[in-house]
Amino acid sequence: MGFCVFCSKAGEGPAEWLLVELQGEVVSRQNTGLAGNLMGDLHYTKEGVPVLIVGHHILYGKQVKLEKPFAVLMKHSGLPRDEEETMETNQENPTSYTVSALIKKKLIFKTRPKPIITNVPKKV
Amino acid sequence: MVHDLLESFIVMSVFFISLIIRGDKDEHAVLCNEDETYDLKIADTSNLLLFVPGCKTPDQLPDISASPQLVHAQIWGFSNCYWELRRQRPRLKKLKKLLMENPYDGPAVGMQEEAPGPKYTMDDLLERIQASREEIEAHLQNVHACEIDGFWRILDFDYEMKLLGHVTQLVDSESWSFSKVPLSVCLEELGSLEPKSMIEHCLNCYGRRYSNEDGQVIYALDEDKVCRATAQLLLQNAVKFNLSEFQEVWQQSVPEGMSARLDQLRGLALLDRSSKPETISLLRIEDLPEDTLERFNSLFSLREKWTQDDIEPYIQDLCGEKQTTGALLTKHARSSVQNGVKVYNSRRPIAT
Repeated sequence: MGFCVFCSKAGEGPAEWLLVELQGEVVSRQNTGLAGNLMGDLHYTKEGVPVLIVGHHILYGKQVKLEKPFAVLMKHSGLPRDEEETMETNQENPTSYTVSALIKKKLIFKTRPKPIITNVPKKV
Repeated sequence: MVHDLLESFIVMSVFFISLIIRGDKDEHAVLCNEDETYDLKIADTSNLLLFVPGCKTPDQLPDISASPQLVHAQIWGFSNCYWELRRQRPRLKKLKKLLMENPYDGPAVGMQEEAPGPKYTMDDLLERIQASREEIEAHLQNVHACEIDGFWRILDFDYEMKLLGHVTQLVDSESWSFSKVPLSVCLEELGSLEPKSMIEHCLNCYGRRYSNEDGQVIYALDEDKVCRATAQLLLQNAVKFNLSEFQEVWQQSVPEGMSARLDQLRGLALLDRSSKPETISLLRIEDLPEDTLERFNSLFSLREKWTQDDIEPYIQDLCGEKQTTGALLTKHARSSVQNGVKVYNSRRPIAT
């Protein structure tokens, strides 16, 4: 029976993170996986419009306040991984989750990515 | 399932900090805060969600148009799915079921120890019941449970009625008004028959406690609650009663001066006005299934067609936030008109 307690870090409130929402998938160029790689550049125009450049694509998005905020929870298991299958309520080492962050707004990129063409051959 | 939540991180749509997930292995997980219960449902999206700690939005950046700023931000992780919370009514039927494993029927007689049986503390209940603490506490009050030696116990109904009988008989012999029942005299006069804590508990269940000008603790007995309990005592002895005979016996059984009225029996008894003679039988909402679909199936097995007025007390608790019984009926039943009256029946064939 799962008995998990959530609590925020004592003292301070949880940090605020930003959510970036993209349509479709992000893949790495050589299929090397995403971890550790540069994804792209995020710019804001003077009007505050977020612009994302990923590879040779440019996406325009907008900032939205989330109607229902998200919380990101990190698990702290009281037991080593292989014992989790048989875990019953274990008062000495209960599994707990802490709220690492709250997300109250997001940048959503819904427009179709446009390819950036930098080299337009001149008409002769 | 609760085990499905064992991931290294989960993202939840939520607005509070102190939360508890409850559920036995085979139950769906619910999340509780101090006074509410939420269903946990996984939602997925075809969009990619990226989490960027500390990433600033334009309103958070200083307005320096001079030199461009480059800030390095790391994407902490990504996900296609998240957990959504939906407020739901707490699953409390289990609470009464647990307490009924070992009802309390009075202190042990003579030198005997009380017979062994399962007993639950509040902490035990918090662990087993999928509801928040406040919801559990409210339900314990509804079922007239009391804490005895640190354990929450439900009273055996006959014992509860015995206690009530002592109180109402005393009210009668002292010629007190039902709304001015003094606690101290009750404890003094009845303390030799039953434990004082039980007398007081009975008064708390069937009356409203207040203090008079002299600071004395007084109770105002609740006519509806007393009459309703008396009705249950009578109805549980037979499958069906002739309605008019029942009403006569019932009125004679309630304390003199109290009025027994049929509207006091909503959610407790079902009238059959189509039979000749008209009958009444015990049907308690707490004996019906908790799940919405099962509840409707159960009601339609008992009776093929229901008027809204008859079925309402038995589906009232199923309503979600801002949902009406009318909406529930539209969703789960089919309506027709019989003898000029709108009735509801099941949407699917029911084996009766």
